[in-house]
Amino acid sequence: MTIDELKRYNGLNGARAYIAYKSIVYDVTESPLWKNGDHQGTHVAGVDLTSELSNAPHDNEVFEKFAVVGTLEGSEQVLASVQTPKMQEHQRDSYEPFKSKLRTWYKIYHPHPVAVHFPIALHLFSSGMDFLFLMRPKEAYDAGVFYSFFIATVMGFVAMVPGILSWWINYNFVMHRAFVIKLIVAIITLLLGVVAIAIYYENPHAVYEHSLKGILYHVIVLVTGLNVIVLGYFGGKITWGYGKYQTLQEDIKETVSLAKHQNTLSSHSNIQSISILIGGAAGTGIATLEKILSDAFKESGFYIFSTKEYMSRVRGGSNTTLLRISETPLDAPCWEVDISIALDVLALEHMQERWHKNTLVLADESFTEKKNNVVLVAMKESAKKFGSSKYANTYIAGVLFGLLKIEKNSLLQSIAEHFKEDEANKNVADFGYEEGAKLENLTLPNLPKADLEGVKKLHLMDGTTACGFGFLAGGCNMVTSYPMSPSTGVLNFMADMSKHLTIAVEQSEDEIASLHMVLGGWYSGARAMTTTSGGGFALMGEALSLSGMSETPAVIYLAQRPGPATGLPTRSEQGDLNMALYSGHGPFPRVILAPGSLRECIEYGYLAFELADKYQVPVIVLSDQYLADSISMIENVDFSSYEQRRYFVKSSENYVRYEDTETGISPRAIPGFGEGLICAVGDEHDERGQITEDYKMREKMVAKRARKSDALTLEAVAPEVVGEGDIAIIGWGSTRGVILESLQHLSNPRLAHVHFGWVHPLEPQQLKSLERFKYKVVVENNADGAFANQLKLHDIQIDKQILQSNGFNFFVDQLSVMIEKSVKELS
Amino acid sequence: MSSLFDRENVDVAWCHGCGNLGILKLIKEILEELEVDKKTSVIVSGIGQAAKTPYYIDTNMFGVLHGRALPVATAIKLGNPNLCVVAEGGDGDMYGEGGNHFIHTIRRNVGIVHIVHNNMVYGLTKGQASPTSPKGFVTKVQVGGVVNEPFNPLAVALSLKAGFVSRVNIGDAKHAKEVLKSAFLHHGYALIDILQPCPTFNKTNTYHWFKENSYVLNDSYDSSDFVGALQKAFEFSPMPLGVIYQDKSNRDIFERSIRGVDAKPLHAMSHDVSKIQDLFNSL
Ligand SMILES: Cc1ncc(C[n+]2csc(CCOP(=O)(O)OP(=O)(O)O)c2C)c(N)n1
Ligand code: SF4
Repeated sequence: MTIDELKRYNGLNGARAYIAYKSIVYDVTESPLWKNGDHQGTHVAGVDLTSELSNAPHDNEVFEKFAVVGTLEGSEQVLASVQTPKMQEHQRDSYEPFKSKLRTWYKIYHPHPVAVHFPIALHLFSSGMDFLFLMRPKEAYDAGVFYSFFIATVMGFVAMVPGILSWWINYNFVMHRAFVIKLIVAIITLLLGVVAIAIYYENPHAVYEHSLKGILYHVIVLVTGLNVIVLGYFGGKITWGYGKYQTLQEDIKETVSLAKHQNTLSSHSNIQSISILIGGAAGTGIATLEKILSDAFKESGFYIFSTKEYMSRVRGGSNTTLLRISETPLDAPCWEVDISIALDVLALEHMQERWHKNTLVLADESFTEKKNNVVLVAMKESAKKFGSSKYANTYIAGVLFGLLKIEKNSLLQSIAEHFKEDEANKNVADFGYEEGAKLENLTLPNLPKADLEGVKKLHLMDGTTACGFGFLAGGCNMVTSYPMSPSTGVLNFMADMSKHLTIAVEQSEDEIASLHMVLGGWYSGARAMTTTSGGGFALMGEALSLSGMSETPAVIYLAQRPGPATGLPTRSEQGDLNMALYSGHGPFPRVILAPGSLRECIEYGYLAFELADKYQVPVIVLSDQYLADSISMIENVDFSSYEQRRYFVKSSENYVRYEDTETGISPRAIPGFGEGLICAVGDEHDERGQITEDYKMREKMVAKRARKSDALTLEAVAPEVVGEGDIAIIGWGSTRGVILESLQHLSNPRLAHVHFGWVHPLEPQQLKSLERFKYKVVVENNADGAFANQLKLHDIQIDKQILQSNGFNFFVDQLSVMIEKSVKELS
Repeated sequence: MSSLFDRENVDVAWCHGCGNLGILKLIKEILEELEVDKKTSVIVSGIGQAAKTPYYIDTNMFGVLHGRALPVATAIKLGNPNLCVVAEGGDGDMYGEGGNHFIHTIRRNVGIVHIVHNNMVYGLTKGQASPTSPKGFVTKVQVGGVVNEPFNPLAVALSLKAGFVSRVNIGDAKHAKEVLKSAFLHHGYALIDILQPCPTFNKTNTYHWFKENSYVLNDSYDSSDFVGALQKAFEFSPMPLGVIYQDKSNRDIFERSIRGVDAKPLHAMSHDVSKIQDLFNSL
């Protein structure tokens, strides 16, 4: 059954209700919990629930009682599922920010578990006393029973309040069996408690009598004892799950909810979007204009994507910023643009290549003479009228909004925000707006529909910032780096964050020192990272190897730019995969993660620290200039779901650093925490950390380090597959958004997108899923096809490669053509 | 004599008569006399004969790569300012391969003891010239003798305003101990360059030669006089021994400047998630 077929079984209007979980399709029609295809308001039938269930309070054991009706084709564990309006509605929970705060608070103080032990213990005590009383009716026992029972009942009520609160904030009042049973039993216990207390109050002597009341009293006391056992049992289930012993491995994966990406390859052709290219020399204020416009467009309810290309110089040259606005979320740039704004003469020339026949060009009257598509505006003149040439940018922003007939308040608001000190800007923009509105007889692109509600909930940021938040989520508290574009943004971000959080930041003397400091940091118990680009990473090879031998964790943020050598310092390429894979002498396990969206930046940033700590290996987060500098939108992220774990142990007196264990992972202790001594070493060593050349010990240690790879590989996040076609368009890292949109444009049912964010080590079982594709095309922004070569090493046949290495990222319109051509040649 | 800091079952890889043996003994004695807690002290060393010292001392250690002890030690101190951190290695290790780190660690004024075994030769790689080898020193590589000017660690350290700069000769263990002790007690970065004979590969700078070519600074020497210290640093025949310069002004030290005065070890801290959430939500 395909995802589309599954959609028909939504349980509505008499249809049967099917759901899919981990590739298996179950019939849930008969379940009272799935009336009309709706599962307690949290899930709907007719979809693949694999990804959603990563958050459910239960695992697949709940499906065991349902009939299996088939398997789901093309589904992956982390396959993007189809988003239904119903689900969107659920995500729009207006209490969410409040709940999120409460969740954090709850995580720290866990009031329910704190409170609930009193009534449980007291009820059991009371039942026990009652047994004694029934055997030997003494006054002391009678009093013991009653007092403990009374307090137990009161405390039971006290414990229920935070319990229900937790049910709301952590589980969204989901009507799962465990919660329902707990609620019913708790209420019964409370009511019975009141009855028993009433009996005693009315006549304390009744408990000695064989009357109805006397018997009822004892029955209640004994039954409530049983009740609290049931309550405790299901409480445990909610906290610990039903599964067997859950390994940490599953834990990490679960926190990383990459599967929540919701994407389809549904046709994109009827979706309105406008692309605006702004060109000018460095120092002409492009960045300010970009910021003003993005905020204003966002305020107006448009989805935004923006990216820049710039020369490696601080002033002059010719740089551009591309801004796209749309009625649905966007995550890719285009080459040809609808509107082109030149801030100087050079820009006019520089941007020409990117005009199509209807591109509307806005330029100052002094730049050029009137041509077909060029609209001359009095940028300089008007700015001067307001007293300074610096107002040209605000003026043109006004013209643009007037021209597009977008409500001007959002622009004025954004301008007021940016120029708090200089109010004149508002008047300039207002003036520009009127001028723009006056321009007539222009072929304008259709304005996208605004989605105020949808856009309001999103955050606008670049890949740099998102990676930074990922590293914070991962608990990073030490950063030692040497500046190098395009990685410096993360260094700046972390330094800025050190004003709010405890993060030790030091600019090292060189990259050799950077990574060695990271190792020193981890040795002492910090969560340390460095940021760099290709040339700097080349200097880190030696320390990377030390990380491998000494089994000291390390996190490296490697933002790529085109090489060799200094190459193109401010431009983009995916050219350093081979270096990331092979740098450092001697074999040792490592992890390479290449995020392809803001969400992946956060999740992989977090994951990097978890994996490094747990497996004591270096983890490289591979970004590039394009991803780092592109701004797009991301839904709210709940940071309390990223648990900051620590994997080091407290050492005992006879601790040895390199204990030979089954998994190859030796418990890592740190100096000053525990009774033992920590001897970490870069020479080959024995378990104690003493230098050895004993060949048997060498073999043992080589095998131990290699063994870590086995478990590590199992952590791999499966590639994301979108679409059901038999031709796979495979990409990794920053190409995610652009491939996805290209395929949406092509809307060829034979195509599917396979995105690898987890690049190394590749997991053979996951690669098996590629077998279902008849053809495989790999898209990479480099000249050596390094990732395709990795796939080939795993016996995956690659039919075509689309490569580019001109310093740009891929553009949707260009890539669509390249993919179409490749596909034509294949079939 | 046995020491609290003896490590059991170790196979010492040094030649008979090597100056390293004396330095090892010295360090263990000082750690014991100063009642240093072995659980909260760390020795970081690079690669070379000298860099093997911490393998024979019963305390925490991180044996890193050739020339790289200083950045590792720096970050350990940053991660946990409560640890007593020592960086140790040979002259090739610290002044050659790790030269850049030497400069910048001094600039940072990291609160570590920096012990350099200066035998004026590369021991582990069997006898090539080191940055401190004297001119004319003949080796299998420098077949016509060393032509480069020897590196002057004391002058370099002083020019970077190191707070504690000293040189001793392991041939005079009693004096060496006194100076090394004050290096441990100094607040901030402390350099101790220890003249160490290598009887196997350096037939020029022997115990006898070091004795003949050095003298101990007497009590009248004012180690707080910076200009005088600079002058002393350039004296060669004979070389002055002792604390050449000490800045007792309690200058800011690196880890305290970055982490604050009562900084907790980073391993005991984690971020307040609600703060991260707020910062994110503000975008
Ligand atoms: C990157 C690197 N280059 C070269 C070496 C080889 N090597 C090991 S020790 C050493 C020099 C040792 O001299 P020194 O630091 O003075 O210590 P000694 O052995 O004399 O005590 C060299 C060149 C190495 N281990 N690593
Ligand atoms: S080679 Fe020189 S420095 Fe090394 S142990 Fe032998 S004598 Fe000592």
